[in-house]
Amino acid sequence: MNGWSGEGEGKVLYVQTHGVNDPGRSATPFFLAASAAAMECEVAIYFTMYGPQLLQREVVDKIGPKGDRGQPLSYFIEQATSLGVRLLVCQPSLDLNDLAIEDLIDGIEMIGGAAFNELAMQADAVVSF
Amino acid sequence: MAEVASPARTLDCTGMNCPLPVIKTAQAIKDIEVGEVLELLATDPGVDPDMHAWSSRTGHELLGIERRGDVFHVLLRRTK
Repeated sequence: MNGWSGEGEGKVLYVQTHGVNDPGRSATPFFLAASAAAMECEVAIYFTMYGPQLLQREVVDKIGPKGDRGQPLSYFIEQATSLGVRLLVCQPSLDLNDLAIEDLIDGIEMIGGAAFNELAMQADAVVSF
Repeated sequence: MAEVASPARTLDCTGMNCPLPVIKTAQAIKDIEVGEVLELLATDPGVDPDMHAWSSRTGHELLGIERRGDVFHVLLRRTK
């Protein structure tokens, strides 16, 4: 499935542009996405620029919003995806970070710029970080 | 309020911060029958505006929020 199904109570698209160099910005999009999913909305997070760094298998258990304290990022990712939040990346952003899709955790969807724009235009809200 | 809305289940989210009370409420409402009432206990002050927003968006009925000391008691009726 690429676009929105339209079956939820709303559609929210989050955009995460920050990577591992700013852990304090890593978890909030997952919190908000999980909250929106709990409100029975369809939710996706698009990781672009440095964002795909956060989805690396080797990273998700090693960083968290408060550094060494508190829950790792994997906890917040699981919280969001268990509620149906979709995680999206595009190839140019993987290239920018010298990553391949295999470097990322399971369940990430590859989309392109046109698909992103279509999701954004059809969403009820687009929130960018 | 108590006699019209006797909770079928109580969900204790005291001590938990956003977004956990909302997420756990969304899960717990599915564990009761349509027409039954869920009682949520929470200490995060954000629960008041959050539950108004959650109810408005999902259509589940917010019967009331009462603060006793540090604990917010939220009553929600499953509508669908």
